[in-house]
Amino acid sequence: MAVKLSANYSKKLGLPGFSSHSFSASVEVELTDLSQVEAQCQKLYQLLQQSVDHEIQQVGFVPGEFYGINAVDQSGNNGHRTQHANCHTNGHAQNGSGRGYNVNGHSRASNGNGGGERWNCTDGQRGFILRLVNEHNLDKQEVEDLARQFFGTGVRELNKMQASQLLDELLAKVGQPRQTRHRRQPSSSQPQPAVAS
Amino acid sequence: MSARTTNAATTASTPGAGARSEKEIIAELLQTVSASRLTLFLQCRLKFFFRYVLSIPKPKAPALHVGNAVHAALKARNRARWLQQPLSLKALHDSYSAAWTDESEGKVDWAGAEAEEKAIGWRLFETYLREHPLPEDLKPDAIEVSIEADLREHGLPRLVGILDLVLQSRIIDYKTSSTTPNPERVAHTHEVQTSGYAVLYRHNTGQRELGLELHHLVKLKNPKVVVTLMPPMSDEQQTRLFHLMDAYQTGLQRGDFVPSPGMQCACCEFFNECRRWK
Ligand code: SF4
Repeated sequence: MAVKLSANYSKKLGLPGFSSHSFSASVEVELTDLSQVEAQCQKLYQLLQQSVDHEIQQVGFVPGEFYGINAVDQSGNNGHRTQHANCHTNGHAQNGSGRGYNVNGHSRASNGNGGGERWNCTDGQRGFILRLVNEHNLDKQEVEDLARQFFGTGVRELNKMQASQLLDELLAKVGQPRQTRHRRQPSSSQPQPAVAS
Repeated sequence: MSARTTNAATTASTPGAGARSEKEIIAELLQTVSASRLTLFLQCRLKFFFRYVLSIPKPKAPALHVGNAVHAALKARNRARWLQQPLSLKALHDSYSAAWTDESEGKVDWAGAEAEEKAIGWRLFETYLREHPLPEDLKPDAIEVSIEADLREHGLPRLVGILDLVLQSRIIDYKTSSTTPNPERVAHTHEVQTSGYAVLYRHNTGQRELGLELHHLVKLKNPKVVVTLMPPMSDEQQTRLFHLMDAYQTGLQRGDFVPSPGMQCACCEFFNECRRWK
């Protein structure tokens, strides 16, 4: 009776700017009997790994940090990168206060270019996250996973509040916890010893 | 009005002010404002001047220290739940104790009551845990997150602040207090803070908060928790906040640092300096 052995090897690697690429290869061989399984597994694993490793070194197109911004700018910003040109709405209703004042003073691009290549937080936050990743050799996939664990969304999709929280986590991770203490004010206007709020 | 500033400055020592001039410090204070700084300015401008312009060092108040330690334990608890790795009571107590030993904000003059105060703070936290267990499946949106809002388009300083907890789009602020809050008055007395948080939340998420909550941990013989629920900030409340921020800006620009003698003087750490003001 012929025995079929299927082997699959896949690898996913992180790339700059929170990109990643993956490649997998699989083969199926027929064996004459079960005693060949162990040796064949060893052989196939080596073969597949070498093949995948060889190919995955070709990274192909890697989007730059500002990938997609030109497309946004063409829609009305003359191709010049403005301070918040890389922000998009992330599907949140931007109703602000309901009386028409601009959310955060940051006019966000909302041209429907929601390919996920732009960052939803501020330029400063994006720069800070990237700097921490580079300076401390953080694994980008781990950072991405952290964002997903906390917010259920990728780093680029984080809003400003979430990006700030992620930065707190990253700073703590690299041993530079952000100073979040603030002078707490009395919780009542009645005269009493200072209490914390 | 600036003469009043000078009078106050000359009657107080300025050891904490460093090499920066009064003008430079005020220019910096005009750039950003937090709800607590704004509240202090509105409460008493001279006290604000002593604390933020002259930076006159004072021992840290015991109640403030207790509050910070309780906040640290609450943060540890919320964060652990967020990561779905609940902490044991012992681990939470370790967070509380670590915060207790932190003297980076200054030493506290305990007058022999440190152990008692530490126990009171922990009991307060335990009471909160008991009365407000966080449901397993509720993931916070944010925990003690520092955020800011650029209000330049309104001609106002940048608003900065730290949200204790955001849960299901509700902004929750923890308070430790030695008296039971008056439910009718508490929304009014904390409006600067709650409106400030709402503005920050909206600017940083692009969403409107679903509501605001004040969780008072009251330090009584039998500690208790009082939760005050408030609706989302109204347009009128936001307008009021912006007017107050405008008054802050104008007051600082004019060097308007007059005292506001009143009930609050009973617990003012700058009482002696204030008596010398003319
Ligand atoms: S004693 Fe009263 S008036 Fe004087 S600075 Fe303090 S709070 Fe203001």
